[in-house]
Amino acid sequence: MYWGGNPAECHPRHFTKYALMPKSKFLPNGRKDRTVVLVDIRETKSVKAADLFLQVRPGKDFELLTILRALLKGHDVGDREIAQTGLDRAVLEDLLSRMKASKFGAIFFGMGLSMTRGKHMNSAALLTLAAELNSFTKFVAMPMRGHGNVTGADVIMRWQTGYPFGISFNRGYPRYNPGEFSTVDVLVRGDTDCAFIIGADPGATMPRPAIEHLARIPTIVLDPHVTHTSRIAKVHITTAPAGIAAPGTAYRMDEIPLPLSPAIDSPYPTDEQVIKQIRAHLEQKPNWLPDSQQTLASQV
Amino acid sequence: MELKIIDHATCTFCGCVCDDIQLHSDGQRIHKAEKACVLGKAWFLNHSAEKHYPDALIDGEPAKLADAISLAAELLHAADMPLVYGMSNTTCEAQKQCVAMADHLGGLLDSHTSL
Repeated sequence: MYWGGNPAECHPRHFTKYALMPKSKFLPNGRKDRTVVLVDIRETKSVKAADLFLQVRPGKDFELLTILRALLKGHDVGDREIAQTGLDRAVLEDLLSRMKASKFGAIFFGMGLSMTRGKHMNSAALLTLAAELNSFTKFVAMPMRGHGNVTGADVIMRWQTGYPFGISFNRGYPRYNPGEFSTVDVLVRGDTDCAFIIGADPGATMPRPAIEHLARIPTIVLDPHVTHTSRIAKVHITTAPAGIAAPGTAYRMDEIPLPLSPAIDSPYPTDEQVIKQIRAHLEQKPNWLPDSQQTLASQV
Repeated sequence: MELKIIDHATCTFCGCVCDDIQLHSDGQRIHKAEKACVLGKAWFLNHSAEKHYPDALIDGEPAKLADAISLAAELLHAADMPLVYGMSNTTCEAQKQCVAMADHLGGLLDSHTSL
């Protein structure tokens, strides 16, 4: 089941290599043994690959998920509530009976769910639905990660700090609070006074007030290309592109680590080498805490 | 120029991280990316070993790498609330360095996930 994503165009091999086509011990006929459901606000190219397409009204994902959860538990849901999602009762009941009858269900959710009205509440509702379906059968949920190694970032931060993103070290130990420490919020409020941007281009993707703040403060960019962010930055350092000229490890979206095999030689240093050098400079400067003995030892 | 063939290369364009790509490279440029999808082919074939950009830029002007690194360290150290952000198109090894640096700075640490 795909919710708010368009893998046919954004993850072209997701169907063939991972989710729909592979034949296995329990699914010897590959695609024929699977039911594919697509939930989206419009008909994308991915619809062709689906057995069932549910066109949800824009901004009504949270409502639809909550109704599915209610119906799953046998609660009464009014026709009017169902109608506001743009779907009807028969479709939802058919979907739920297919979900409950499945042997192993997987929901892949994209930015159409996690970045539209409701944002992380939508993701939370979908994860709860997947968890509750486990009363009937095995069900899992996974975000469709866009950028190469963003899963690696989650994994590394979890491993090193205990939290996946939105972390502050300003008390000397890691604290987690998305909304307070997440970048867009921090930039829009103007909380940060220096930004170090690596392997990302917020200058092209973030809302205007966030970009304006990046332009106001000293920003340092590490990137293989001179990006939109580099143009408003104080310092840009060109680095070797990971996986093409820089070796290392990257995590697949299902959290499988894979080695990178660089194919070309780059005239630029890798991200890792540059940050190590910056850290070496920082180590020589006085620590920001008056009594640095009390801070956590550097974890690396 | 010697042509290298790399089997089971890993593509890091999208989150699928397909690891069955066959790359044909001469060390300067990748000429062929077998099994890769449209997006993966564009990703591999658009990079080369040529020097398109200066090593570093300070205020938009070409600068020496060493100067850029020491200025970066100075700016990060001088800040009250530095932010380390991104970490998507990079390796886990570099991400680990980022975490350590944010910890040392007592700053903020965040990735694309929060968007």
